[in-house]
Amino acid sequence: MSSDHIHPEPTTFLRKHVFSIDHKVIAKQFLWFGLIWLGIGGIMAMMLRWQLANPGVPVPLIGGLLFPRTGGVIDPATYNTLFTMHGTIMIFLGLTPAMIGALGNWCIPLMIGARDMIFPTLNMLSFWAMFLGGAVGFYSLFVPLGATEVGWTGYPTLSTTVGAVGQGETLWAIAVFLIGASSIMGGINYITTVIRLRCPGMTWMRMPLTVWGLFLTSILNVLFIPVIGSAMIILVLDRVFGTSFYVPASIMSGGTGGDPILYQHLFWIFGHPEVYILILPAWGVVCDLLSFFARKPAFGYRTSVGAMVVVTVLSALVYGHHMFTTGLSAMLGESFMLLTMIISVPAEILFFNWLHTLWKGSLRLTTPMLFAMGVIFVFGLGGLTGIYCATIGTDIFLHDTYFIVGHFHLTMAASALFGTFGAIYFWFPKMFGRMMSERLGKLHFWLSFFPLVLVFCIMFISGYAGMPRRYYDHTSAEYLRPLQHLNVATTVSAFLLGVAQFIFVFNFIKSRWWGKTAPQNPWDVGTVDWTIATPVPHYNFKTIPVVRCGPHEFSNPVLGPDTDWIYQTEELPG
Amino acid sequence: MRGISWQGLAVAFGALGLLTSLQTSEDENPHARAPRDVSLVVTEGAWLRAPGADWFAQRAKAEPGRFTHDATAAGGAGGWVDSHGEYSLSEIEGEWAYWQWASAERLTDGRQDFVQFCSSCHGLNGDGYGRSGQHLRPTPRSFQQNKFKFTKVTADLPSDEALLSVIKRGLAGTPMLPWDLSDVQLLDIIQYIKSLSPEESGWRDVYSQVGDAIEVTEDPWTDTKERAIVRGREIYHGAASCHLCHPGYVTNEELRVIRKDPEGTTYRENLTYPALKDSEYEVLGRATKVMPPDFTWHQMRAGTTTADLFQTIASGIKGTAMPQWKGAISDEDLWALAHYVENLIVSYKDQPAARSAFMGGLRVSGDNK
Amino acid sequence: MSMLSTFTPSFALLRSRWLGCPLALMLTSTWALAQDKRWGPGEPASDYGYRFGELFWLITTLVSVAFALVVVLLIVPMLRDRARPGHRASFDHGKSLHDKRLTAVISIITFIVLDAWVLVIAMKDLREAYWAIPAAKDPQTYKVEVLAQQWAWSFRAAGVDGEFGTPDDILTTNELVVPKDRPVSFNLTSKDVIHSLFLPEMRMKKDLNPGAINLAWFKPVVEGEFSILCAELCGFAHYQMFGKLRVLEQGQFNEWEAEASQLASTAFDADDTEGHWAWDWQE
Repeated sequence: MSSDHIHPEPTTFLRKHVFSIDHKVIAKQFLWFGLIWLGIGGIMAMMLRWQLANPGVPVPLIGGLLFPRTGGVIDPATYNTLFTMHGTIMIFLGLTPAMIGALGNWCIPLMIGARDMIFPTLNMLSFWAMFLGGAVGFYSLFVPLGATEVGWTGYPTLSTTVGAVGQGETLWAIAVFLIGASSIMGGINYITTVIRLRCPGMTWMRMPLTVWGLFLTSILNVLFIPVIGSAMIILVLDRVFGTSFYVPASIMSGGTGGDPILYQHLFWIFGHPEVYILILPAWGVVCDLLSFFARKPAFGYRTSVGAMVVVTVLSALVYGHHMFTTGLSAMLGESFMLLTMIISVPAEILFFNWLHTLWKGSLRLTTPMLFAMGVIFVFGLGGLTGIYCATIGTDIFLHDTYFIVGHFHLTMAASALFGTFGAIYFWFPKMFGRMMSERLGKLHFWLSFFPLVLVFCIMFISGYAGMPRRYYDHTSAEYLRPLQHLNVATTVSAFLLGVAQFIFVFNFIKSRWWGKTAPQNPWDVGTVDWTIATPVPHYNFKTIPVVRCGPHEFSNPVLGPDTDWIYQTEELPG
Repeated sequence: MRGISWQGLAVAFGALGLLTSLQTSEDENPHARAPRDVSLVVTEGAWLRAPGADWFAQRAKAEPGRFTHDATAAGGAGGWVDSHGEYSLSEIEGEWAYWQWASAERLTDGRQDFVQFCSSCHGLNGDGYGRSGQHLRPTPRSFQQNKFKFTKVTADLPSDEALLSVIKRGLAGTPMLPWDLSDVQLLDIIQYIKSLSPEESGWRDVYSQVGDAIEVTEDPWTDTKERAIVRGREIYHGAASCHLCHPGYVTNEELRVIRKDPEGTTYRENLTYPALKDSEYEVLGRATKVMPPDFTWHQMRAGTTTADLFQTIASGIKGTAMPQWKGAISDEDLWALAHYVENLIVSYKDQPAARSAFMGGLRVSGDNK
Repeated sequence: MSMLSTFTPSFALLRSRWLGCPLALMLTSTWALAQDKRWGPGEPASDYGYRFGELFWLITTLVSVAFALVVVLLIVPMLRDRARPGHRASFDHGKSLHDKRLTAVISIITFIVLDAWVLVIAMKDLREAYWAIPAAKDPQTYKVEVLAQQWAWSFRAAGVDGEFGTPDDILTTNELVVPKDRPVSFNLTSKDVIHSLFLPEMRMKKDLNPGAINLAWFKPVVEGEFSILCAELCGFAHYQMFGKLRVLEQGQFNEWEAEASQLASTAFDADDTEGHWAWDWQE
């Protein structure tokens, strides 16, 4: 059922660019917001790597400005703040807006043939809630004692006033809560829009897999963000109102009290689905991009959808694998280990479908395609290393070492980020009406790919060698001093990776205003969003399209020898 | 939603908040609940006792241009002037003394760093009883007592440099680690710690003397270490009678000979073990006892080089039974002692076989366990 | 309008000096460093320590084979199936029964080889080793109570009398002395925040939660000095919370224990109740 609500075109500057309810504007707001925060998070990562490779040495260029009281040196508390904010920013203020906010807002209505999201005002509120969350997080950097320094996981009692006095941690909890609210609002919007606003003929099985990924992500968001929301509320109650949900009574003094492990359960019941929240859109995008640029249908569409759905359903059942060393009962531990291995099966199926899509295709190795194939590589690497983490026998040693850092960066950061980049390069022509430079795009890819793989693969070695994470300095403990060469190598690679991102920034900004004008359909792709003109008019579709075939009818023999694709709104000949 | 009394809910929430903010009973362990309303701002600056003229003379060399000597100051006696305005000379009850000004801004920085880095053991109010300081022996220092064990000063109070040195080196074998903080941060923390002196005591006391770590004089035994060790052993068990607190590292008979005591003299039980002694360091109002170290077993807190040992022995350990030996015995003998102690450490500490043979040999005579 | 020209990969880039420099830089920086480089965790020093290495390398072998396959399946299409004039992709939705069967077979094989095999070994390891806490009643078990704090480890051994909470309890800070070839059993808790006791050479790790007691154990089989590290973020000095684990031959250990107990008795202040922190041993 398609609704033909068209909200009137805005006239004022505020309504056009600031408080717009048009999903396309909101998508761009989320995109800029996300990219800027990804940059900030990235700079923090560079500072962390600097300190690890050169302990106690002042940070060049910006050190004196940022850390005057230590002469430009990052002190241990600041270091902790940096990695805490790095994680928080990258996940909540970087990937979430860039992938789910921007991509979801741009792609969903356009790809299902709708004129806008079903709740446009809620959509706008979702952006501003996230903006507010970011503002609160930013503000927390400047309060006495600075921003939170207890890790993005924020385990009590370190995150209660036992371990962290000051406003920073409280503000962090509030910021996460606000960002969570934004995600819930967005989730409700996406789910309802996909269910209600698909244009005629757009059956569930004819939706692009990008929309499937975003849809399933939204289900997870709506289900599990409330869990972390409650964990944060309880944390704020403990910090500000003196309750003891997470603060235990001491063993010595006896009596009852709270349980810090309660938080870990709450956090990871959200936290594990959160990693699927971050990766499902990327999975969907990759499925589509591989098909588009291999000129071949996405292999096993239904199986892929089924795999993503199964992963969604099972996602909360595996969370205990983050808690193997906390003293869970043996039965729980083994159950989580088994479930974690089971959930890898649908992911493996999806993975094989990707490879099958490429096999005997006709590959157009454009920048979006390179990033999609890059996701296959890094997700394969990251996913396979998940086996070490799921297996308690190896996890006991590897937990809280750099092995885990390498694993989750490859699966979460690298894969989702490459998916985001692929999506940006792909949809840029439709979003901004200009082409991004292919040459610079490919350069960006290759100069990012090798350092990225290197950074996190060296971390596997570091972790195997016993290097714990969240350490300010690995030259203090004698056991870790012989591992310093790994730190240096990781840092050099990380800096190369960081520098390569400037190519993207340059490309993005240059193309946004001075790029070549984009044709209506530069990629020869048949999804409904490419049927409309560029720039996309305010109302998207003059008439609601009617869909007559699937999104991946590439190289269908019935199309004849002259063309290998067809719009979804066209009828397949014969 | 119908059926839910929103006002009722608000009242319930408010009641919850009120209940949780009620004062807990005084008997309860102060760490039974997580801290709340921790102040992070110091509103008033403080005048703190500064070291004497000798210290300024040295600093004038280290920081040329900052300190100048004014012959007309101090009522004609002459004194140092600080162009930065941090130190000043003033007269109280007829006495001219140097004072250091710690501004409220500086103390606020110090307070925040103190809370961040030190309060977990030393307590949010510097009383030595932080949550992590519970059950710790030796106890974390209370800054309200104005007493420090290992600053190696003979004056009442240590100078900034002496405190800085202790914090940066840490105290080996204790949770007082060598912290990776900058001098700027540490000096701010130090000013804050000094400002914790109760009224008219410690750094707020007119009559306190503040001094540097004791000077390391030249070691007269550099080429004659063996003789130093022999001499040290004599002093240790003889003139200085270190064996009264620390272990005696000789048999009963050897001790009698060194001390030139008459035949049949017996000494304290468990001579080869240290004896627990009182100290002035309190936790929760109760003074704790300290164990003098057995040099062949326990970790030395304040450094194990000969110079460190010299300083520690010379300055003594304030607030404990370890007296200040500078002046009581000659420098030459102090160095001999240092060499002897160092030799004990180097020969036997962390060397189970050697130590076992040595101590076993001392204890074989039955009346000297 | 032919877009094919933009689709050809810039392999030339890979061979160019452009990319060569950063690659060379990365490689040289990895090697041009100080002596005493280590690439692994060192030899295991506990009786169950070998299990970690064996399982790790088994998984590595399996994963390497799988990943090599993936890389081949990525590179072959990149080289062989590149778009060129007149080239058409093979049309396959992957919906056929054959495809579904193939997917099922590959999934089952993957699960069995990569997951189930490893799962079975891991469960064995857990039940035979990591979670097989030795009985406290057994006199062979050497019991240690561990109280972690920001940022130090306090260890309490029962001393010669074998009971906790007595004057001869041996208290050490940041140093743990244990006998060789006897199981060492822990009661773990914390004063303030969550810490984690990590003995890398022993391949042991367990969290220390405030307000609760966790159990763990290991059996050292090599004499010498080993490391104790903290493996759960506990504040700004988390990285400085390390200690020394000393494993002594039984004879030497007995001597050490006797002397330490004696010294502890001498140091015991019965009135100083605040300083006493032992608890009843938990199993």
